[in-house]
Amino acid sequence: MNRIIRRTLIGGVALLALAAMACTDLTLAPKSNATDANVFSDPGAYRAFIARVYAGLAVSGQQGAAGQPDISGIDEGFSQYLRLYWEAEELPSDEAVIGWGDVGLPEMNTQTWAVDNSFVVAMYYRVFFQVMMANEFLRQTTDAKLASRGNVGSTLRAEIRQYRAEARFLRALSYWHGIDLFGKIPLITENELVGTVPQQSTRANVYDFIVSELNAIKADLPPAGASSYGRATAPAADMLLAKVYLNAGVYTGTTHYPEALAAAAAVIAGPYSLDPVYQNMFLADNNNSPEIIFAITQDGLRTQTWGAVTFLVHASCGGSMNTSNYGIDGCWWGLRLKQEARLRYAAGDQRDDFFYTTGQTDTVYAIGNFNNGIAAPKYQNVTSTGQPGSHPTHVDTDFPLFRLADAYLIYAEAHLRSGGGTAQQALDYVNALRVRAYGDSSGVIAGPALTLQFVLDERGRELLWEAHRRTDLVRYGLYTGNSYVWAWKGGVQAGTGTAAHLDLYPIPANELIANPNLVQNPGY
Amino acid sequence: MSRFPHFMGALLALLWIAPVAAQQPTGSIRGRVTDNSTQQPLSGVTVVAGSRAALSQADGRYVLTGVPAGSATVRARMVGYAPATQDVSVAEGEAATLDLALTAQAINLAEIVVTGYGEQRAGNITGAVTQITEDQFNGGRIISPEQLIQSKIPGVQVVDNNEPGGGISIRVRGPTSVDASSEPLYVVDGVPMGIANGAGGGLSAGRNPLNFLNPNDIESITVLRDASAAAIYGANAANGVLIIQTKGGRQGPQFEYTGSTSASQVTRLPDMLNATQFATAVQTYATATQISQLDTANTDWFSLVDQTAFGQDNNFAVSGSGETMDWRLSGGYLKQNGVIRGTTTERLSVGLNFNQRLFDNRLDVRTSLRGSRADDQFTPGGVLSNAAQMGPTQPVFDSTAPTGYYDWPGNTLTSADNPLALLNLAKDHGRTYRSIGNMQASYRVPFVEGLKANLNLGFDVAQAQRQSFYPSTLHGQTKTGTDGSDYRSDFSQSNTTLETYLSYLAPLHRLPGTIDITGGYSWAQGHSEYPSYLAQGLTTDILGGNGITAARTVQNFQAIEENRLISFFGRVNYNLNDRYLASASIRRDGSSRFGPANQWGTFPSLSLGWRISEESFMKGIGGLSDLKLRAAWGKTGNQSFANYVQYAQYKLGDAQTQVQFGNQFVTTIRPGAYNAFIQWEGTRAFDLGLDYSILGQRVSGSVDWYTKSTDGLIFTVPVCAGCGLSNFNISNIGKMRNRGLELSLSAQLLRNSGRGLTWTADITAAHNKNEMTQIYASQGVTRIPTGLVAGGVGTFIQVLQPGVPVNSFYVYQQRYDSVGKPIQGGYVDQPTVRDTVACPAAPGCVGLYRPDGLINQDDRRPFHDPAPKWILGHTSYFTYGKLDLNFTLRAYLGNWVYNNVASNLGTYSEVTRASPYNLHASVLETGFTSPQYQSDLYVEDASFLRMDNVSVGLSFKYRGQPMRAFGTIQNAFTLTGYSGVDPTAGLNGLDNNIYPRSRTFTGGLSVRF
Repeated sequence: MNRIIRRTLIGGVALLALAAMACTDLTLAPKSNATDANVFSDPGAYRAFIARVYAGLAVSGQQGAAGQPDISGIDEGFSQYLRLYWEAEELPSDEAVIGWGDVGLPEMNTQTWAVDNSFVVAMYYRVFFQVMMANEFLRQTTDAKLASRGNVGSTLRAEIRQYRAEARFLRALSYWHGIDLFGKIPLITENELVGTVPQQSTRANVYDFIVSELNAIKADLPPAGASSYGRATAPAADMLLAKVYLNAGVYTGTTHYPEALAAAAAVIAGPYSLDPVYQNMFLADNNNSPEIIFAITQDGLRTQTWGAVTFLVHASCGGSMNTSNYGIDGCWWGLRLKQEARLRYAAGDQRDDFFYTTGQTDTVYAIGNFNNGIAAPKYQNVTSTGQPGSHPTHVDTDFPLFRLADAYLIYAEAHLRSGGGTAQQALDYVNALRVRAYGDSSGVIAGPALTLQFVLDERGRELLWEAHRRTDLVRYGLYTGNSYVWAWKGGVQAGTGTAAHLDLYPIPANELIANPNLVQNPGY
Repeated sequence: MSRFPHFMGALLALLWIAPVAAQQPTGSIRGRVTDNSTQQPLSGVTVVAGSRAALSQADGRYVLTGVPAGSATVRARMVGYAPATQDVSVAEGEAATLDLALTAQAINLAEIVVTGYGEQRAGNITGAVTQITEDQFNGGRIISPEQLIQSKIPGVQVVDNNEPGGGISIRVRGPTSVDASSEPLYVVDGVPMGIANGAGGGLSAGRNPLNFLNPNDIESITVLRDASAAAIYGANAANGVLIIQTKGGRQGPQFEYTGSTSASQVTRLPDMLNATQFATAVQTYATATQISQLDTANTDWFSLVDQTAFGQDNNFAVSGSGETMDWRLSGGYLKQNGVIRGTTTERLSVGLNFNQRLFDNRLDVRTSLRGSRADDQFTPGGVLSNAAQMGPTQPVFDSTAPTGYYDWPGNTLTSADNPLALLNLAKDHGRTYRSIGNMQASYRVPFVEGLKANLNLGFDVAQAQRQSFYPSTLHGQTKTGTDGSDYRSDFSQSNTTLETYLSYLAPLHRLPGTIDITGGYSWAQGHSEYPSYLAQGLTTDILGGNGITAARTVQNFQAIEENRLISFFGRVNYNLNDRYLASASIRRDGSSRFGPANQWGTFPSLSLGWRISEESFMKGIGGLSDLKLRAAWGKTGNQSFANYVQYAQYKLGDAQTQVQFGNQFVTTIRPGAYNAFIQWEGTRAFDLGLDYSILGQRVSGSVDWYTKSTDGLIFTVPVCAGCGLSNFNISNIGKMRNRGLELSLSAQLLRNSGRGLTWTADITAAHNKNEMTQIYASQGVTRIPTGLVAGGVGTFIQVLQPGVPVNSFYVYQQRYDSVGKPIQGGYVDQPTVRDTVACPAAPGCVGLYRPDGLINQDDRRPFHDPAPKWILGHTSYFTYGKLDLNFTLRAYLGNWVYNNVASNLGTYSEVTRASPYNLHASVLETGFTSPQYQSDLYVEDASFLRMDNVSVGLSFKYRGQPMRAFGTIQNAFTLTGYSGVDPTAGLNGLDNNIYPRSRTFTGGLSVRF
C-alpha cells in the first residue's frame, strides 16, 4: 500500500514538474486597455482619436481634471497646452503679470527665463505632442490601413476624410506655434517612423509646410456652422493662414501681406459677424457667439482641466473680488495687468468695464502682490444672462482662439503694410470694432489716425489677454530691445531693454541632449 | 528554454559519478554522528574512510559502502567542529557500526543558514549573507516584520514612516533603480512573495503589505546582500533578498502566550508661531483683509490632533511534535493607535505550520498557511498640514457653522482648514485580507544517495478595500468646490508559484571534496484587479460613505494587471575540506514584462571562499577560530517595473475629458508611448569579504567591500520631441553605481560564569556611495527634476543627474549678509555660460564658464543628497542571572533633509493669503517676505544618533511554569542638529508634515507551559 501511494505520488509530482517546465509562454496582453492590435475594430475609434487631437488643446490628460497626463516633467495642470501658450504669449509682454513663485514662472513675467525654464520646456513638448498625435492619426487612417481593417464603410470613410484634414489643420496650428515661439524646429510628418530622431528644419521650411498644408486641406474640412462648433472649418484654416502670412516676414524674411489680407478677407466673407456684446465672447455661453471662428472648448462637467480657461478665470481672481460674480468657488490670486495695458483704454471704451480696481493699484510695484496691478477678469464662468456655469471649479467658458475682430485687424494692418485692399475698408473694419467698444460712434477714428501703431494699440485693447501679444510685439520689432520698455521688462520695475535673442524662446536644454541633431537658438 | 536541457543533462551526468564498481572485498561502515555536548544528531558531516566518503543525514546517520575489508580509519569533519578520527575494523560483506561524536569549536560556523533554494553551514558561505534569529530581533512595539532587523545588519537600511505599522522601505546596499523598485525580494518559507508583482509584493489597503505576517511567528530573517548569493533569484534579486522562515513545532506539546501593552508619545512637532507671534506677524505684514479676520483665542492645533497612543499585542501559539511530524498553530491580535488621532491599525492573524515526514523520512512535506485581517484607520489627509497652517488665534468651535467647527470666513481657497473638523468628520480606512500558503515537498530519492527532489507550491491572495469619505460641509471641500467626496476601492490580487528542483549533495569519489548541485524550474503568475469609484459633489452626507449617493461627478476606474515570470536555475557548490569553497549559479528568467526581443535574461554568479584558518600555516596562531576570505561576482536583475510597457496601448479618456463637436461630446482615445525593447535592469556586483572570529569565537565579524553597477536602468527619460508619442518614455538607458564598505563585529565581552554578568556587543558600520553615472549614452548632462515638495505648484527640489547621487538636492546657493542673515532672493550666480574669451581671467569664472549676471533656474546646483553616507548600529545584550537587558543605538552620518515645513511656511507672504496661514518659526530669523523654496538654506545635515530600543526582561517561574516579564523603550532619545520633525524623514529626505516620530514604552509578559 505504502509503495503504491509512494509511486503514485512521485509519479504525479514528476509529471506535474515536467508539465510545468514545458510551459514557457510569456505573452500576456493588456486586458483593461485597448492596444493598436484591437482598438480600430471599433469604428467609433476614429472619431474618438480625432477628438483626442483636439483635446490636446483643451485638457491635459485622459482623466479629468488631472490624471493620465499627456506629458511629464511638469505639474499636470501647468502642462496644459492653452495655459502654457497663453503664458508664453502674454506674461513677457506688456499685458500681464502672474504673482506666483512657482519655479520658472516669475522669470516669464520679465523675459529672464533660463534655457531649462519648465514652462518653456513644457510648451515645446506640447507642440510636438500635438504633432505626434496628428501624425499617428494620419498613419492609422491611410487608405491602405482602412482597407485592411475591412470594417470601414463609405460613410465612415467620408468622415475620416474630414478627420484627416482636421488632423492636418491641428498639426499646422501647432507648427505655427512652434516656429513662432522656438524658431528652427524639426519638421516631422506622418511619413517619419515613430522613434526616428528628427533633423532640425528651418523656420522657412516649416512655414512653407504650414501654408501648403492649409491650402491643401481647406476643401476637406467640415463646413462652418453650429454643428461643427469646436472643430476646424475652412474659415479657421483661412484665419490661420492669415496669421501665418501676416508674420511671414518674421519667420522667413519675406513678407506676404497681400496673402494675409486675402486670407483675412476670405474669413470676413464667411458666415461670422461681430458679437453685439463684446463681453459675451468670454462668458460661459460663448459657444453661442456669432464671432468665434475657432474655439478651444471647455465644459465644467465634461471637459475638465486645471489649465485652459479654468486657469484664466481663477488666476484672474483675487483681492477683494467676490468669486460668485465670476461663477467660481475660489480665487487663485495670480494674473493682473501691467499698467501699460491698462492705460491703453481711453475713457468711454467699454472693453475695460470688467476690470476690477477696488483695492488694486495701477502700478505693479511687486509682482508677487495681487493688489498691485489692475485685475482683469475678462474670462468668467457666468453666462450672458448672469447664470453660473455648470461647475464652480471647471468652467464652461470656451477660449476664442480665432475670432472675427482679429481678421478685421489683420486686414487693416496688412493694408497699412502695403498688402492691398482699400483704406476705407480697413478703416471701416477698425471702426466697426470701436463702435462696439464705445457703444456709439464716439470712438470712431478718421482715416489718418489709422496707423500701424494705432493698429497695434487697438489689438492690445480688442484682443487683450487673448494670447496674441508677444507675436504682435515681435512683428512690430518692439518685443525686445529698448525702443519700447514696459513695467518689469528685463526684470526691473521701470522696465529696461532686453537682448534681441529673447524674441525666440530657447530650445530646451534637455532636448539638445536627447536630440543631438538640434542647434540652440542664437544667444542662449 | 533551449539551453535548459543541456544544463539538466550535465546535472544528470554528474549524478552517475556516485555508484562505483568495487573490485576487491569490501564491507561497509554505518553509524550516527552526534554533537558531543548536546547529543543531538549532526547532519552534513563528511565521513571519510580511505577513498570512500559520505555525508550524514538529518538524523545523523551515515553509511560508507565499498570500504576495503580490514582496518579502516574513519575521519569525520564538519565546519565549526573539531575533526574526529577513529579506527574500525571492517569485515567483508559486513556492516561495521561506528558512532562518532564531534566537539564543537566554533559553533556559529556550523549554524544552518537558509539560502535561496537550499541551506548552507554558515562557515561555508561564500557570499555576503547574514542571518538574524529570534533572540537577536528588536523588541517592543513591532508591527511589521522588517522592524525586527533594523540596525542589526550592516548595509541594510530600514526606513519606516513613523505610522504604526506604516510602510517600510528597505535598501540593501543603496538603491539600484530610479523608476523600478529598489525594495528587496521577500521569500517566505521558500516561496518568493509577489515575485510577479515586484519585490516586497502584495496588495494592501493599509500601510504595509507585509503586515499580514505576525512578527511573533518569525524564526529567522536572512538577508542575501551580495549578488552572488542573490543571483539564484535572477531578475528579482538586484536589491537583495530577505528570506523569512516561520516557526515550526519544537518538542512536546506546549502553549505559549505573549502579551504586551504600549504607550507612545510624540517627541517632536513642527515649530510654528504661537498666537501672539502669529497675531504680530499678521498685523505687521498683512492688510486689513487679513487683520480683520483675527480672533483672540489661543489654540495649539497640534495638541488637539495628537494623543498618547496606546496599543496592545496578544499572541498565542500551540505547538507540538511527534516522531514524524511537528506542528505549530498561532494566533495574534494587535491593536495600535497612532500618536496622531484617527490613526489605528488592528490585525487578526492565524498561522499554521505542519511538517510531516513520510516513507522512512524520505519524503518531507512542510506546509504553512497563514491568514490575516488588517484594519487600518488613517488620519484624514491634511490634518497635519492644516494643524501647522491654521491660525493659533482662532477658536476651535463655532456653533453657527454647519460643521460646528470654526473655519476662516469667506470660504476662500487660500485659507487653512480646521484640522479638528477634518479629523472628526472625515473618514479614511482600509481593510486587507491576505492569505498565503505553501507546501514544500522534499523527497530523498532512493538508490542515489544525496539526491533530493523538491516541489514548492505557493499561493498568495489578497483583497484590499479602502474607503474614504469627506462630507460636503467640510471647509476643505467647499473651498475647492469638491463639495464632498466618496472614494472606495476594492482591489484584489492573486499570485501563484510553482517551483520544482533537484538537489544533489554528496562527496565526490574520484576527486576530493563535496559538491552540492541544485537545478530547477520556477513559474510564477500574478493577476490583480483594481476597481475603484470616486464621487464628488455629493448631494447629501447622510449616508456617510456607507451607501451610494447622487453626486455631481462619478468616476469609475478599473485596471487589470497580469504578469508571469518563468525561470530555470542551477547552482553548484564545491567544498574542499572546508578550506576551499566555490559556488557558481545561473538563472535564466523570462518575464511577460520584457519586450518580445528580450524575453529571456541570464543571470550568472561565481564566488570563491578560502578559509585561511584551515591552512596548516595558520594552525599555530592561537586564538584564531576562523578566517575566511571571500570574493564574489554576480549579475542580478530587476523586473519590478510596470506591466505592458512593450504594448502600444490606447488609453481611453474618461467622461470628464470629452471634446465638444458641435453639440455633442466625444470621448477620446490616446495612443501612448511604448517601448518594445524594454527589459530587466542588470546589476553587476563584486564583493570582497573577510569573515573572522578569534578567541574561540568570542570576537567575530566580517568586513565587506563591494561595488554594484546597474545598467539598463529603467528610466522615464525625456525623449526627443517628435521621437515618440509622449515627451517621456520608459527605456533601459541609465547607469548607476553603488560602492561601499561594511563592517560588523560581535564581541562576547563578558561570558557567562555561573550567575554572573554576560555582555555581548554587536557593532555594524556601513558606508555607501551612490552615483548616477549616466542617463543618456551621449555625454551631455541631463537633469530630470524629481522630489516634488509643498510650496508653489510643481516645485521639484531634487534632481537625477549624471555624476551625483540619485535624488541629490538641486538648489540655489544662499547668500548671507554681514550678520549671517540669509538675503531674500540673494543667490550665488553660478558660472553657467561658456565663455572662452573672458574666462578664465574674469571674476567668478570656473574653468571656461562664467556667471551670466542673471539669477534664474540655471543657477541651481546639486547639493548633497538624502542617503546616509554611514549607517552605524550598535546592540548590547546583557544578562545577569534572571535579568536580561539589551539596547540598540543607531546613527546616520551625512544624510541631508529638506525642511519643507520651514521653506513653505517660513515666509511672511503666507499671512497675506486670503486668510493668513500660520508661519514656521524660522521666519523670525530669516524675515523672508517671499518664499525661497529652492534655497539651500532648507537643506540640512540630518545626521543623528538615536537610542532605537532599550529592553529589559526578567525570567522567573510561577507555579513551575517559565515566564518572562519585559519592558521596552523605543526611540529613547535622538540627538541631532536637524531642525525639523524627524531626521530620518523617509528615504527621500523630504520633511513635509510627515508623521511625527514617537517614543514608545512597552510592557509585557510571556508564559510557556
